[in-house]
Amino acid sequence: MFKKPTLTTTLIIIVGFLTLCPVIMLLLGSFSQDFVSFGQFTTVKYVEAYTDPDFADILWNTVIFTGGSALVATLLALFLAYVNTRTDLPFKFIFKVIAIVPMMIPHILFSVSWVLLLNPSNGTLNRLFMDLFGLTDALFDIYTLPGMILVEGLLDLPIAYLIIAPAMSAFDVSLEESSKVCGASNLRTLMRVTLPVLRPAILASAILVIVRSLASFAVPSVIGMPGRIYVLSTHIYRNIATGFAADFGKAAAIGMSALAASITLIYVYRYLTSESGKFVTISSRGFKPTLIKLKNAKYPMFLIVGFLSFILILLPVLVLFYTSMLPYSMVPSAKAFSMMSWDNWIEVLKDPISLLSLKNSLFLGVVGATIGTTLSIFVSYVIVKVRSTASGILESLSFLSFSFPGIVIGVGFMWFFVRTPIYGTLTALLIGYIATYLPYGIRPISSAFVQIHSHLEESSRVCGAGPFYTMRRIVIPLLIPGIVSGWILMASMFLRELTLSVVLSRPGTEVLAVQILHFAEDGLWGPLSALGIIMIFISSALVILAAVLGSKLTKMEVVK
Amino acid sequence: MEIRIKGLTRNYYSEGKQIKALDNVDLTIPANKIFTLLGPSGCGKTTLLRCIVGLETPDAGEIYIGDDLVWSSEKNIFVPPENRGLGMVFQTYAIWPHMNVFDNVAYPLQTSKTPKDIIRQQVAKALNFVQLDGFESRPATKLSGGQQQRVALARALVAEPKVILFDEPLSNLDAKLREETRKELRSFLTELKITAIYVTHDRIEALALSDLIAVMRAGKIIEIGDPKKIYFNSDHKFVADFIGRANLIKGKVEKLEGEHAIFASEIGSILALNSQRIPVGQDAMLCVRPEFIRLTSEHKDQGQNIFRGLMETLIFIGEAYEGEIRIGDTLLTTTIEPTENIVEGDDISIAFDPDHCFLLSA
Repeated sequence: MFKKPTLTTTLIIIVGFLTLCPVIMLLLGSFSQDFVSFGQFTTVKYVEAYTDPDFADILWNTVIFTGGSALVATLLALFLAYVNTRTDLPFKFIFKVIAIVPMMIPHILFSVSWVLLLNPSNGTLNRLFMDLFGLTDALFDIYTLPGMILVEGLLDLPIAYLIIAPAMSAFDVSLEESSKVCGASNLRTLMRVTLPVLRPAILASAILVIVRSLASFAVPSVIGMPGRIYVLSTHIYRNIATGFAADFGKAAAIGMSALAASITLIYVYRYLTSESGKFVTISSRGFKPTLIKLKNAKYPMFLIVGFLSFILILLPVLVLFYTSMLPYSMVPSAKAFSMMSWDNWIEVLKDPISLLSLKNSLFLGVVGATIGTTLSIFVSYVIVKVRSTASGILESLSFLSFSFPGIVIGVGFMWFFVRTPIYGTLTALLIGYIATYLPYGIRPISSAFVQIHSHLEESSRVCGAGPFYTMRRIVIPLLIPGIVSGWILMASMFLRELTLSVVLSRPGTEVLAVQILHFAEDGLWGPLSALGIIMIFISSALVILAAVLGSKLTKMEVVK
Repeated sequence: MEIRIKGLTRNYYSEGKQIKALDNVDLTIPANKIFTLLGPSGCGKTTLLRCIVGLETPDAGEIYIGDDLVWSSEKNIFVPPENRGLGMVFQTYAIWPHMNVFDNVAYPLQTSKTPKDIIRQQVAKALNFVQLDGFESRPATKLSGGQQQRVALARALVAEPKVILFDEPLSNLDAKLREETRKELRSFLTELKITAIYVTHDRIEALALSDLIAVMRAGKIIEIGDPKKIYFNSDHKFVADFIGRANLIKGKVEKLEGEHAIFASEIGSILALNSQRIPVGQDAMLCVRPEFIRLTSEHKDQGQNIFRGLMETLIFIGEAYEGEIRIGDTLLTTTIEPTENIVEGDDISIAFDPDHCFLLSA
């Protein structure tokens, strides 16, 4: 009881360092000429960055890209959520799959699979259509803004769905029923009642997708850069990745505007989500909404939903696996199947850099998630159980990094790490990862903490157990489900981490996603696909392992 | 073990306002008695209990458990709950859902590193005591409410504490089970020879279980006494009103007669208990409980404490009639035997037993 204040202070220092250090270093860095002259105030980098004649174009591209992705993801999510909660569509379990499984496919691999399908020179789908209809030109060009928007929109669909679906099912149906009693048709009710009431959730989803696509690096780098379409994240990358001319000052100056935009949007988002609580009325009477009968539209509608889940989940894996077996890309045919071999796999498994990146990513995933989860346990404890002004500060601090675009934070950390001996080590990546993804660990664990009634802890204290014994015997075992899901989330994030790593990764500290990006830049699709499948396999294995371990641990206490 | 509390104060701040949960409380809880803290919600009874256990820190004052000073704001002493050697049953029972019955009960012994075979014996003994023999390997989630309550009791008793505390332990049970458990708890506690502190807002629970009752209001202890004293002859109007249904009649003390006094009231002169020795001429309040207003065939002038009234309302509730009798401007609530042969509107005679109506200072 008397130790809590010191625990809170320690955590504020740790989390404060993790979240504020990169921001402060980014700010200081943006006012510096270069790493050597750090601290000598100059605005030259801002002038350089914002008077660049290309900058207006980049900004415009960014607006279109983020706005378009938000539109695609939110509309699709609305459609899916409505169909799920309000119609008698068969096989509804498919919605759970759509909401969760795509998160297991790393964004860079998803982007690559669409390049493999729709690139203008040898995209499999393009070639298929050319052969089928005798066209001379490719039908689709993925290397365009609409191509980027489509892929990013699909990538962000699960997150939009997870925001909109609960709001849709918490909706008080009597609002709709009274509209119908007033003589309005289904469509009119939808437009005049349902959608307006859901507006906060819809806006929240759109804003969150904008924030995520602003931070997105996979789609802009794999799809945008070959088509010479630059957005803020790739523009920053261009400034630091071009060998000798790397300009971290200018990157920081550009990054500041991305960071400011992102933080502002997250504040609007948090405001909206707190508002939506007032707006959406949850009926306590437990009414089940009457399902709209789809009748003849049932199976066409199911085809649409089925097709969506196919392109979200199966298609990327299939395309990657298919490509990994072929020496060069070709349309599926008897000839293609006869040429299949494991050559790409063997090449990747013999490639020292690929192996090193595999090892590094595994290390970062397992060790990083373990450290990150441990930190999250303490932070969640203070946030949920201590409830003081200091714990309020800790809460705001720990959720701040949720709004940080990875690449910008990477630049900020770079300004810090070059001044320390850990520059270019795995430790640097580890710190960066934990700082950026801390909210992903805190969220499931703190909601598990909320479930634990304070009497359960207090009775342990009265029974003669000290605070740490209570933590070990009572709190941690009850938290295990939350801890496991926090660990899985962090580990799978770390295993696929790209945006922070492209900045912080140096020779010797290559990671999987960066290695895949390099393969993509060199057009080595075969080895890329092989490594990609390995990546998906490992992260799925981790998820399953952690889930099994979690249920074992919870059971053990009961059986013992 | 005796518990002594001196000048205990605890303030809460909510929305800028200061709320006194405990207002300079002085209290001695005698050893080996069942001591109940009774009061309406928000009166500070639970806060007082939690301060004794050490789950809450008071702002000022001292707490002794036996001869040990466990809290003193002045001497800056705070013994954490785990070192106070108490047992407690929580309102929610706080049975740990991830453990079985054995581990839940064994926990207090495990924390003190007791040898395993002794733990097994002690747990078996505790479970036998609460009549849950053979439940050791039952998962905690597979227990009924009443069973959880007994596991919580076994856990509180297993380390043989000198003091056991209860925070409204019956309030989560349904009415029938509550009655049974109350009886059991009473027999458990009398058998044990242990100091028990019991918090409740339920007056029947307090009356049925306690050796001593302390009635609290707004952070203060108003009155302490055994159940009969509190019920039949409390010193405070609030206590008399809170502990059971009461008719309060205004008037003046007219003449002292030993333990009793003649009381001039709105309905006439009444002979009543006057244990507070309220002097002649002073305004006072007469308290008479509905069940002690007796129908009588005697006539008004045939004896003392007999009045005529009108049966204004009469409601049959099964075990009795609940009625209201009008005497002039005064309306008295009463309970009448269900076999009585009366109807609304009847003129009736009622009698008050001088030993069962008592005077309170107004």
